[in-house]
Amino acid sequence: MSEPEIAPRKRFLAENPSALRFIGCLALFTLGVTVLSEGFGLAFLSTSMVKILGMTLCLCLIAVAMDVVWGYCGILSLGHFAFFGLGGYAIGMWLMYARTEGIVVQSLAAAPIPPTPTEIENAIATQIFGVVGSNELPFVWGFAHSLPLQLLLVLLVPGLLALIFGWLAFRSRVTGVYLSILTQAMTLALSLYLFQNDTGLRGNNGLSGLQNIPGLLHLSQSTLAIWFFWASALALGLGYLLFAWLVSGKFGSVIRAIRDNEARVRFLGYDVERYKLVIFTLTAVVSAIAGALYYPQAGIINPAEIAPIASIYLAVWVAIGGRGRLYGAVIGAAAVSLSSSWFTGGGAPSINLGFYTILWTDWWLVLLGLGFVAVTLFFPRGIGGLFDYLVRKP
Amino acid sequence: MTTLLEVSGISVTFDGFRAINNLSIQIAEPELRAVIGPNGAGKTTFMDIVTGKTRPDEGRVIWGEKSVSLLGMSESQIARAGIGRKFQKPTVFETQTVRENLAMALHNKRGPFDVLFYRRSKAAAARVAELAEEIGLLDALSRRAGELSHGQKQWLEIGMLLAQDPRLLLVDEPAAGMTPAEREHTTDILKRAAETRAVVVIEHDMEFVRRLGCKVTVLHEGSVLAEGSLDHVTRNQQVIDVYLGR
Repeated sequence: MSEPEIAPRKRFLAENPSALRFIGCLALFTLGVTVLSEGFGLAFLSTSMVKILGMTLCLCLIAVAMDVVWGYCGILSLGHFAFFGLGGYAIGMWLMYARTEGIVVQSLAAAPIPPTPTEIENAIATQIFGVVGSNELPFVWGFAHSLPLQLLLVLLVPGLLALIFGWLAFRSRVTGVYLSILTQAMTLALSLYLFQNDTGLRGNNGLSGLQNIPGLLHLSQSTLAIWFFWASALALGLGYLLFAWLVSGKFGSVIRAIRDNEARVRFLGYDVERYKLVIFTLTAVVSAIAGALYYPQAGIINPAEIAPIASIYLAVWVAIGGRGRLYGAVIGAAAVSLSSSWFTGGGAPSINLGFYTILWTDWWLVLLGLGFVAVTLFFPRGIGGLFDYLVRKP
Repeated sequence: MTTLLEVSGISVTFDGFRAINNLSIQIAEPELRAVIGPNGAGKTTFMDIVTGKTRPDEGRVIWGEKSVSLLGMSESQIARAGIGRKFQKPTVFETQTVRENLAMALHNKRGPFDVLFYRRSKAAAARVAELAEEIGLLDALSRRAGELSHGQKQWLEIGMLLAQDPRLLLVDEPAAGMTPAEREHTTDILKRAAETRAVVVIEHDMEFVRRLGCKVTVLHEGSVLAEGSLDHVTRNQQVIDVYLGR
């Protein structure tokens, strides 16, 4: 990042030691995972574990974005996972297209007559869309052949959606729970739309095989896993710094003021709606970047990922981790999503009570709910709030 | 003295209740003006209309040399045009420090990107310190506004108002909940501010108004009942009947 006109980075970090500490912890964690990984080090961590950790870092990044929009600016968006999913779809389209293209070209190479570009395209379309009974490439795949264009769409599609949605909602002064419901409706609508077979994104099949990166097929998954882990760590680090800088200065002061009393901020001469729009759109774009890094590690994306419940989970992570402190969001997202995959992935042993066996796949949500209630009751400032007791100044 | 704000013939009805009824007021620059009147006379609604919070059903609100109508403008545009407002109940940002509260109010560019790339300057810090001194909160700059006493919050809000450097200050009950000594200080601040700008004070407390020593407008049932010096209006029989006599 090069922002020469802002306060020098040194001073920003000196005044925000928590950002520096976070970057330090993240660097140590990255180093530790690298050393222990199967692809690069002692093979203590399996490739699937490295992938889970890399995906967790992406979830931490969207949680940080959520904390900025909710914890700092007071907009309880229940739609940020839609932007995450759109980012995933945008990169997934290129991954799937380019890989299918490779396969098609290879198989047609043996044909007696060299295939025309149209034939290749038709073959790709049949390969990808045969599953939804189509053999034509929908127009939304117009850029799917190009990685740079598709990367641009990772930013543009969620960014524009957030910009238009936010402009309409904030301009009408929709706030509080009504805004939450509106964002939830947007997410639901998008998810239902994507579930349809004729929307050009393979309906409920979603996009799959995303873990195979075209051009890097000679590399093993264990190597790719650690590469994506590094990319995710880098994105989280940069995103964290960006948001820490954003909320530290006068801008942070204004958005916290908007959270606490937006009418008063208007009478100070600040155009509250524009601030909200900037925050909403920027966090949506960062969420999309997180999604674009997440799904190549997950390998598959389908409309269920965008379901409203995902965005609600996001709010739960941030609430459990502690709102209004960026590291809190990271702690919440990491703790909850990792325990979720431990409990629901068969990691946690079932408890046999004799008359009843507690299967964690069924009971995890109950546990999460109880945990949420407990945190709300006993640590209203979240897990991250516990640090306040450690560094309390006299 | 030129007319800075001209309110003419405005009326507002809330659910059939006429809060403002054909009200006309002119404020000059500089001027100190007190607006008094019994509860429900429309004092706060008058401020709501001028600051863009409430739209009148009819009438005009004209501002400045260029005679701009304020009616089509949003709250933030009106604030940027140079109208600052202090609320009846002190509304400061309690989770932030006194310094942050004042810095946010300082007269500066208000756009999101201007603020994002805003650089702290010595001049701004000096201005914040100067304001803090004036409102007696120099020692409290790093304290959270929520920790301040009621009177200090009132002052902080007045300080934020001054920081905005507005041409017109609308001040709703600045002395509410203050000790006599604090009231005196508040009077001084307002009088000093009115040397260079227009200040409109809504107040219940007659003693406070007397100390301001300025032109008084008496509102009753949404329109002007009397206007003039305090002695003049307190001799007005109608004023005595509806307000002072009770």
